[in-house]
Amino acid sequence: MDVLPGEEEQMVKNLAREFLEAECPPSLAREMEKDNLGYPPELWKKISDLGWFGMSLPETYGGQGLPLSYLGLISEELGRVIAPVPFHSTMVAALTIAADGTDQQKQSILPHISSGDMILTWAFQELNPKLNPESIRTTATETDGGYVLNGTKMFVDNYVAADKILITCRTSPATEISSGLSMFIIDTNLSGMVETPLVTIAKDKQSKVTFEGVKISKDDLIGELDQGWDIAVDMLDRGTALLCAQMVGAARKDIEIGIEYAKNRVAFGRPIGAFQSVQHMCADMTIWVDGAQMLTYEALWKMDEGIPASVDVSQAKAFCNDKCQAAVRSSQVLHGGMGFMMEFDLHLWYRRVCAWTMRLGTSFEHRARVSKALIEEPGRVRLGMNFSAVK
Amino acid sequence: MDFAYTLEQEALRSEVRQFISDNVTPEIIHEIEESGIRNRGPETRDLYKKIGDKGWIGISWPKEYGGQDGSRIDQYIIEEEFARIGITVGGAGSGAPAILAAGTEEQKKYFLPGLIKGEIVFALGFTEPQGGADLASLQCRAVRDGDDFVINGQKMYTTAAHYGTHVYLMARTDPEAPKHKGISIFLVPIDLPGITVRPLWTIQNEPTAPPRTTYGDRRTNETFFENVRIPASCMLGEENMGWYVGAMGLNLDRVGASRYLLSVQRDEDIVNWVKENDMDGYSPAEDPDVRDRLAELWIEAQVCRLMTMRSMSLVERGGTFTYEGSAEKVWSPEHGVRTTETIAQILGPYGQLLNGSEAAIEDGIFAHNLLGAFQSGINHGSVQVMRDQVARRGLGMPRG
Repeated sequence: MDVLPGEEEQMVKNLAREFLEAECPPSLAREMEKDNLGYPPELWKKISDLGWFGMSLPETYGGQGLPLSYLGLISEELGRVIAPVPFHSTMVAALTIAADGTDQQKQSILPHISSGDMILTWAFQELNPKLNPESIRTTATETDGGYVLNGTKMFVDNYVAADKILITCRTSPATEISSGLSMFIIDTNLSGMVETPLVTIAKDKQSKVTFEGVKISKDDLIGELDQGWDIAVDMLDRGTALLCAQMVGAARKDIEIGIEYAKNRVAFGRPIGAFQSVQHMCADMTIWVDGAQMLTYEALWKMDEGIPASVDVSQAKAFCNDKCQAAVRSSQVLHGGMGFMMEFDLHLWYRRVCAWTMRLGTSFEHRARVSKALIEEPGRVRLGMNFSAVK
Repeated sequence: MDFAYTLEQEALRSEVRQFISDNVTPEIIHEIEESGIRNRGPETRDLYKKIGDKGWIGISWPKEYGGQDGSRIDQYIIEEEFARIGITVGGAGSGAPAILAAGTEEQKKYFLPGLIKGEIVFALGFTEPQGGADLASLQCRAVRDGDDFVINGQKMYTTAAHYGTHVYLMARTDPEAPKHKGISIFLVPIDLPGITVRPLWTIQNEPTAPPRTTYGDRRTNETFFENVRIPASCMLGEENMGWYVGAMGLNLDRVGASRYLLSVQRDEDIVNWVKENDMDGYSPAEDPDVRDRLAELWIEAQVCRLMTMRSMSLVERGGTFTYEGSAEKVWSPEHGVRTTETIAQILGPYGQLLNGSEAAIEDGIFAHNLLGAFQSGINHGSVQVMRDQVARRGLGMPRG
């Protein structure tokens, strides 16, 4: 047992930080808020040269086969510089294809991910944004040799930049043994798909996408027909853990900016950081982000060990939602009016962390998952125990 | 990163749990709570001997001072399992880390084996009537007289003084020096002439309080020193360096198994109670508000656990704490308070019933805890002082 990053993990983190601090200044995040694609292709190319996209993809398909926790550390560093790149959405879909796709799908997609010439996204949530099987109303109806899609997907990340989209659809009514959902990986430029941009506080690229009679092939199915919910749970868990890492990175940098400001800003004849009221805020901010970081690392580590980690992921996300939000809000408060100014960079972090608290599960949803596990786990519970898999 | 114990460590944990269920009866726990260190009953002595025979005492301490040169994590596992039933065993208790760091060879040889076996217990003589959190303002005087020191003063909250063997005393040896630089530490036998121990009863002074009631003791003490003469060899570390010697001990005291369990044991208890019980048709386990709060507390408790693991990881790496111990001493006690207060709202009017009352839940343990939960945010460095330390030592923020 050693819960701190090991030597190699720390090295990966340090190298990523060095690269990103040089290549990804806050001005880039600001600029990309106004960009149509939302990311700079030159930076994307440089990142692919570093091998980050294939880091946790299988070696057979051009990846490096490293544990997910390494990808978590990279996500944390990307979050730290609030890098405007479609990394998260690409990884969420790519990891699912790697885990559950057919050999043909892996062959045709994964090498392009590693080399940086394909961007992916995924679509689960609908008008009812709950992350449960019942909320899925987009249908995939079987026809000659394929399926036809009809429905609406919401909050689709980086749709405008993506080449392919991993979509969860209803293929059958729910029964006792199956939720009736299936997953497909399809191109984003098929006829019948209509994109409407959503305007968000993070000024990131999210879309509402409607599907009207979109024809797709049988070969686009991921996993077994009607067995998509199990795949979706794993996808959402991986995506949530990586998002937590990103939030932790962003919140850490945000509070560092706040603490540094408090040390230098003079009022009432001394740096405001010399006042205990301010010091105690800074202590709490640090404690919160530390807690969020450790919960996130433990969830990632459990996934790598093959231990059911859904409860751990939900613990991390519920805590990140509440505490990273509180930390970045405190940092804003420390800055007084300055933090409220558009020209000052702090809001770039604040707006993103706020937005990420609402993505991939609210605190209520994740705590409901935790309490369900606590109540339904047979026998007495004990801190540090592993819970049975949640499906 | 690695969040798992090894198979050997897990096997050790199972063995300790089995040993406890085979050997520790409620009568023994009661005897330990009631008798104190100086007049342990035969059953308690027998239990401690069995634990010693197992090789479960002082694992991480140096062999030459009664330990085994073993793993800190093995020791933690043993400490945690015993702390769950309210028995302190496995480590060496308050004051020992400072003795190892600053003691003379003679002091180490005398005190450490005794502290490890639990045969020597220190009452902490830090706080005084006019100064607690501002420890450095203490006024208890130790005046050199040839090869001796003569002590006069009063100490508050010397909790173990009625059953312990020594006072771990901070006294002023140079009243002219700046306040942090005129303090020395003495290891004073409690039975010397001139020492008077008087009980102070706390709001947790309920004779019916069940074993496992945590957060504060039912009884603490005030201890008076009137011309108490001790040889200079009782001094720990150098004269006037006591502030720095004392800080070494406290930092390590603020983390570890018993402190961790103090903050989280009721989380496990309430979840398990809710899983197994209802109130004549009302099931808190099915109440969405209750479920949301239980999950929130559980997640916070996991952070307590992870902070403890972080401290252990740092110790195992041979590093020192900059702010991590202080952070843990903010987060964990405050979490324990939130838990205790939330449980009251989950149990409603049942949450007020003390042990022995008709309809009391779980021997009234939740009610007894509510009387003293906040105490853990005060003792061994208040959470406010701890936040100062996180900010100043951890974040490098300026002094006011």
